[in-house]
Amino acid sequence: MAWLHTWSGLVVGWVLFAIFVTGTASYYRSDISRWMRPELVETSVDPAAAATRAGAYLRKTVPDAMGWSVRPPTTENPTVEVYWWRDPAGPFQRALLDPSTGELSRARDTGGGDFLYRFHFELSLPPLAGRWIVSACAMILLIALISGVVTHRRIFVDFFTFRRDRSMQRGWLDAHNVAGVLSLPFHLMIVYTGLVTLSSMLMPWGIKTAYGDDVLRYYAEAGIMSPGRPPEGRPGTPLPLGAILSRAQAAAGEVPEVLLVSQPADAGATVTAYFEEPHGLAHLHPQIVYAADTGIEIGRVGEAGAATRTGAVMVGLHEDHFAAAPLRLLFFLCRALGAATVASGLILWAVARAPKGADPAGFGLRAVRILNLGTIAGLPIGLAAYFLANRLLPLGLDARAAWEMGCFFAAWACAGAGAALWPQGRAWTSTLSIAALAFLAIPVVDAVMVGQPRFVGFDAVMAILGLILLLAARLAARRRADAPRRTARALQTTARA
Amino acid sequence: MTVAALALCLLLGFSAFSSLALSLDRHHRAAFRTPVPKRRAGGLRAAGWAGLALSFAAAVAAGGWNFGPVQWIGSLTGAALLVVALMAYQPGWLRIAALTALPLAVLMLPLVLTG
Repeated sequence: MAWLHTWSGLVVGWVLFAIFVTGTASYYRSDISRWMRPELVETSVDPAAAATRAGAYLRKTVPDAMGWSVRPPTTENPTVEVYWWRDPAGPFQRALLDPSTGELSRARDTGGGDFLYRFHFELSLPPLAGRWIVSACAMILLIALISGVVTHRRIFVDFFTFRRDRSMQRGWLDAHNVAGVLSLPFHLMIVYTGLVTLSSMLMPWGIKTAYGDDVLRYYAEAGIMSPGRPPEGRPGTPLPLGAILSRAQAAAGEVPEVLLVSQPADAGATVTAYFEEPHGLAHLHPQIVYAADTGIEIGRVGEAGAATRTGAVMVGLHEDHFAAAPLRLLFFLCRALGAATVASGLILWAVARAPKGADPAGFGLRAVRILNLGTIAGLPIGLAAYFLANRLLPLGLDARAAWEMGCFFAAWACAGAGAALWPQGRAWTSTLSIAALAFLAIPVVDAVMVGQPRFVGFDAVMAILGLILLLAARLAARRRADAPRRTARALQTTARA
Repeated sequence: MTVAALALCLLLGFSAFSSLALSLDRHHRAAFRTPVPKRRAGGLRAAGWAGLALSFAAAVAAGGWNFGPVQWIGSLTGAALLVVALMAYQPGWLRIAALTALPLAVLMLPLVLTG
């Protein structure tokens, strides 16, 4: 089954590496978003007043929308995030509002951590296409994981083995095994639960058969969403959103996380208050539905059925929201090990097929080498460029968020092109050094351009990532320098044995 | 899970994995330059599995049946990574480190119980 593991891992490896890295980053997505919007300082704002202002803004700008969603401000995130849509299938328009004025926020236009989050399951492609590609890759990764366990006969004996002083191939094989095996339960979990989050797209037939096109009824019966009420076909006179927020707050004892307004222009409009998921493994949000005009409670969603709960626990495990900071760090490590497993597997493929002596490398091997370098060392360059662009692009730039993303892809593409053109021997050292310098530049640029003490932690993490990349660059340089010696030593050992 | 409970799981897991690693010939050789005697291997293996069971019990006691197992697996990954790193760079230190981890784990106990 070794061939299955080798080839299933290789064909999707590069995409998987990008998914793992951006997914790992999006584990800290709200921290990233906060760093990327330095104009938003922590302040306490009245969520009810802010919701009323946001409702007024939406009524003024998009009165004909089919639905609005309003996320009231919190102390850490003092901004009102609103969405609106004219069709339940999208597109979903988004804006950030200033909670104290109810007008568009002054914060710089940026994709923030959400860009990385969406990239990890949509790859910046049209949503449906991206999700299908990511799902296919995840499915193949599941095959690679299982066939990898079957192939790896000495799984227990080699559990702790990392022979860094033997041949290069041995070292990469051990690294691949250690990174893969030590967090194997985590890898299986994250791939499987990742597929579960997209399950209704991957396997729609069950719902289609039972409910036809009436998805809303399925949501209602599964305990995911409240059924709401039918439109009445005449304009209504809704209460201010803040009044409904206050009622929800009084009923549940906490400020709702999101208010969702359906058919805002109609007399039958409803406002659904979504609350923070209660402490538990499951990712489920309790909801209370209010009539928008009278403010009377018309329904609740609380206890979900067994199937919905099971699905919610899986999504909960995928996101690990329940983990407090120290445990988060361990799960972050597990995610990073996932990326390391993919990367070491890709490198191992190329190292194991390196031509002996003076034979030239074939086309396949050269292509894999270039893709390896362009992805494994190139993606970090793209990420650093994304963060640097956030600080360096002029604030008044049109479509600034799109420019930031453009910088991400452009830097990544340049790194890939560089990987193809650089002489093979020095390529890893040079590309990793560039990535290291880019990450080390982030704290400096931040200090000059913004210089707020609350970002010291983020900047320190960037500096640490830079130092790790620098270490990797040095290791790559040393490997090259003592490769001949190593071969001689390996030959000696073989001769003795 | 509190920091103390996580540290307790990590320390127990680290000791357990160290003793499992030392029960294997290759790693015993790296640490002590001799192959592992048969009886000692058995003892180390038993101690290792007992340590893993103990850290599982600690995780469940601190985090409940809901979170405990998830947190246990997270802490084991960290512990195993430490053992591999030590084994690769300073195999001679493994025994001392594993033995130091045990009293530290005991030190964590009152913090876990009060937290």
